[in-house]
Amino acid sequence: MSGKGRGEALPWVVLGLAVAVFVGWAVAPESAFYTRVLPPIRMLQLAAVLKLVYLLAGAGFAFACRDRLEADNPARPAWLLLSQGILSMFAGQLCLAPFQLVQGVTPFPSVADIYFVLAYPLLIASFLVFLNAYREAGFPIGSLAERVGIVVGVGIAAAFVVLPILRPVAATGGTLLERILTIAYPALDLVLLVPLALLLRIAFRLRGSHAGDVWWILLGGLVVLCMADVCFAYFQALGEAHLDPFVHTAYLLAYGLIAGGAHRQLQLLKS
Amino acid sequence: MTTTEAVELMVKTMAPYIGDTMARSATEAHCQRLGIAATMSRDQLDALLGKLGGGLNIFLGRDKSAAVIAEVRGALAALEGPR
Repeated sequence: MSGKGRGEALPWVVLGLAVAVFVGWAVAPESAFYTRVLPPIRMLQLAAVLKLVYLLAGAGFAFACRDRLEADNPARPAWLLLSQGILSMFAGQLCLAPFQLVQGVTPFPSVADIYFVLAYPLLIASFLVFLNAYREAGFPIGSLAERVGIVVGVGIAAAFVVLPILRPVAATGGTLLERILTIAYPALDLVLLVPLALLLRIAFRLRGSHAGDVWWILLGGLVVLCMADVCFAYFQALGEAHLDPFVHTAYLLAYGLIAGGAHRQLQLLKS
Repeated sequence: MTTTEAVELMVKTMAPYIGDTMARSATEAHCQRLGIAATMSRDQLDALLGKLGGGLNIFLGRDKSAAVIAEVRGALAALEGPR
């Protein structure tokens, strides 16, 4: 492998190792490694730092993509919105960081949730702008009937998968704000899934290309993010704190993939 | 040069950037919108390359997109040359 190839592979190796360490924690939390070498508080600190790094990198790469595109490029505002959405998640994570790094706890609800919730309209707007840019440029994004079919299909699938999961969440105790937020995250994910499904169709047509790689990685990250939110809501509402490692793993993978996708696009624009 | 030959060449050049499927469907859709039939005039070719360049622009930026379209033009010229 060339020096450049090694340089490109290194972040993926780091992400793979980080995910492996967190999966290990999720699967065998009682093992000596996770009780002596990396006890829960260290893992929480590690997760906090890695999430901050990936989110800041993702926001920076997405903004750099926006910066590389000309003022009249229709994809430019989409990359800006994506950058702002990721930055909003970074701000949320930054609010949690002092608690996670110093006290080893994750407060919920907290001021961080304002930023996490704010990220969704920005991400959704970004993907709608991407879709509009592709349509205006003459790329086939499907007929109106096909798009309506996809939206309805996603709605039905989500209703079958997510609603049964959310029912116990809604029925649990906790403050009103806690219940609103635990339902709001998966609900916002459902809305996010609609443009994602339409973009997935485009990504399928882009497969085997540089632009296809960008979208497969980005969409992979966002799908994992949706899964992480649903798991978070479920585990939070049911008080299943021992399953937190799975949630950390999913968020870490999601943020890493989103940053990786934005970086791949930046490389494409620089090439 | 026939439209089929030109389209094949355009698809082959753009495929590494946007994939064979997207390159083909975008090129064919633009041909249809521009009313390009079995053969295409110079004006139609320029219009088609302009449309394709505008689409590539979204993924690659203006400079890279212009370079890819120049590559297509070069390949088309090379194909026409010996005839």
